Amino acid sequence: MREKKLVIALAGNANVGKSVIFNYLTGLHQHIGNWPGKTVERAEGTLHFRGYTIDIIDLPGIYSLSTYSLEELVSRNYIAVERPDLVINVIDASVLERNLFFTLQLIELETPMIIALNQMDIAREKGIEIDIERLEKILKVPVIPTIATKGVGVFQLLEKAVEMIEKGTIKPAKIEYGGEVEEKVNDLVKMLEKLQLKYPPRYVAIKLLEGDQEIEQKVNWISPQIVSTAKEIAKEIERLHGHSCPTVITSERYEVAGCIAREVQRLVVPAKPSISEKLHNITTHKIIGYPIMISLLLLIFYLIFTFGNYTSDLLNNILYGYKPLFTDLFGSGFLGTIVWGAIEGVIAGTTIALPYIVPFYIILYLLEDSGYLSRIAFLMDNVMHKMGLHGKAFIPVMLGFGCNVPACLGCRIMETERERLIAAFVSTLVPCAARSVIILGLVGAFMGIQWALMLYIIDLLIIFSLGRLAFKVLPGEPTALIMEMHDYKLPHFGTVLKETWFRVAEFIKIAFPLIIVGSLAIKLAESFGLLEPIATILSPVTVTWLGLPAVTGITLIFGVLRKELTLVMLATLMGTANFAIVLTPVQMFVLALVAMLYIPCVATIAALVREFGWKKASFIAIFEIAFAIILGGVTFRLLTLANI
Amino acid sequence: MERQNSGRVEVPLSTLRDGESGVVSSITPCHGRGWGFEKRLMDLGITPGTKITVVKSAPFHGPVEILVRGSRLALGRGMADRILVEVDRK
Repeated sequence: MREKKLVIALAGNANVGKSVIFNYLTGLHQHIGNWPGKTVERAEGTLHFRGYTIDIIDLPGIYSLSTYSLEELVSRNYIAVERPDLVINVIDASVLERNLFFTLQLIELETPMIIALNQMDIAREKGIEIDIERLEKILKVPVIPTIATKGVGVFQLLEKAVEMIEKGTIKPAKIEYGGEVEEKVNDLVKMLEKLQLKYPPRYVAIKLLEGDQEIEQKVNWISPQIVSTAKEIAKEIERLHGHSCPTVITSERYEVAGCIAREVQRLVVPAKPSISEKLHNITTHKIIGYPIMISLLLLIFYLIFTFGNYTSDLLNNILYGYKPLFTDLFGSGFLGTIVWGAIEGVIAGTTIALPYIVPFYIILYLLEDSGYLSRIAFLMDNVMHKMGLHGKAFIPVMLGFGCNVPACLGCRIMETERERLIAAFVSTLVPCAARSVIILGLVGAFMGIQWALMLYIIDLLIIFSLGRLAFKVLPGEPTALIMEMHDYKLPHFGTVLKETWFRVAEFIKIAFPLIIVGSLAIKLAESFGLLEPIATILSPVTVTWLGLPAVTGITLIFGVLRKELTLVMLATLMGTANFAIVLTPVQMFVLALVAMLYIPCVATIAALVREFGWKKASFIAIFEIAFAIILGGVTFRLLTLANI
Repeated sequence: MERQNSGRVEVPLSTLRDGESGVVSSITPCHGRGWGFEKRLMDLGITPGTKITVVKSAPFHGPVEILVRGSRLALGRGMADRILVEVDRK
């Protein structure tokens, strides 16, 4: 007999331990993709339990089921339209009131559900005790206490979930609002009950009063009259309360959540502040918060790049060690060269992706899970605001100094598409380690460190002004920081590793093909003797406009693969690493400037494509080429005029 | 900006001192930007009538750290300017 299929969705606020429970339940049988046509991530996994094949969907972490964000819309439509067999509402026992606000909305949707009362350990530490039976009685929903990070209660949760589905579900309690709001809702419900709607009438009634446009449109199709009645009722409520109707409904819902929370929880404030409290106070302190942040970031930076450099070299040596073996097999003729070109692409990808990106993700997720990331955002909000971004954007920008790829991927922590794009754009302009090699190895070594420093300053100014420009040009509202700073907690290492694994796999899928094609193309051009003609074709730009030797046309093309190749190839083609003989100081400065800005490298372009699609990625690339060329030419003329 | 209201004053949240509490009276809408941010604030529990305690604010007009309904939030300064709260001031 075939196993019966069940679908269970996990829903709840952000940072309540949903993904830890998801990982416990599904192990490695996970698939991470996007919701159809949306940039919202969809995590799905399967498990077998008591003769069932159970699909678990981990819905995005949200605070409400309105249409404020894509995440909310996706979750709501999934629960209301696709109707999973059961919703497990994961709630944070240490912030009960706010979490119940979301629970109440799930109850309004009349979805079969159970509650995982998670982070019981953190609640206990804060002196919060919860009467679970009482909570079950009030909500008429089974409540299972869990400590997901330790696996406590997860099995019982699954047992209860299956038991509830088998029993046929008990309807959750109707949660009543205060006085006349409840009356008005009921009036609307009576009218809506006559219509055959996909959604529960009470839910539709509340959403109409909240002025929810999606629901309004749907009801309008069937009965425009009800929509106008709802609008009249909303006006009446507004008149009575002196606040807009959606405000009144949200307040009422919070009022109910607060009442329930007060009824079921007992607060015994501990005599002395907990460790997490102390840590919070120190790390967000007005004065010492900053040195702590800077030292920690420098340490992380140092660790990632020491580890990255070491492993990158090691991998490079090992992989290139196979070259003689390869030449024996394929020979060094045309075929051999081409195939080796493809392999070199793989080597380049591996030596970038694994040594830098893996530790980067592990640390990023550790910082996020523990709660420190939100403290960094709190401290840096002010600075980033000048660029129209808020505090969280500091993280990708900082990472960009190491490598732009994790920086672009790290922009996911921003809330809106617009901010993700601005932050990613800004990050691609940050001088990464490879560009530092050019700046220091060419300008720093042959012109003096003050000129290298000047390049960095120019770059920071460019980042700042282009960031501001993008912020002004791109449509949409800038979001100010509204962020929860949840209590510090020990991250769950298994979840961190899994998240890292999925991100890296994703990066390999996107970047490797592009890197391989890129290096193949260059190898082909080289073996057909196309490099010289290309240099000639590019010479109006390189020679006439930028005042550089024609050969830089070739090296800049190689630089797209890996930026430091600009310098490496220059040495090869010029036949000397003493650039003072072959380049004038002005040429060095202009070349370094152009190399610094002219295009994100192939791996970064791949990351941009992954996050924003081909169109936006090509736009950024083309814009940066044009910008670098224009600026390079102007600088060339200015420096020549200044007689340097 | 301040308004006298039966012994209590209505001031923007951003003007509260560290450790001071106030009760939300209203949220000033933002011109031409829809009401997305108000909705967001309310979903996080900042509704009229709610008690907010300012824990501290980051230096140089940085964000404000507040306690609301048992949770700890960080609000950008501009956002804190738009939340009006009633406080007891003698």
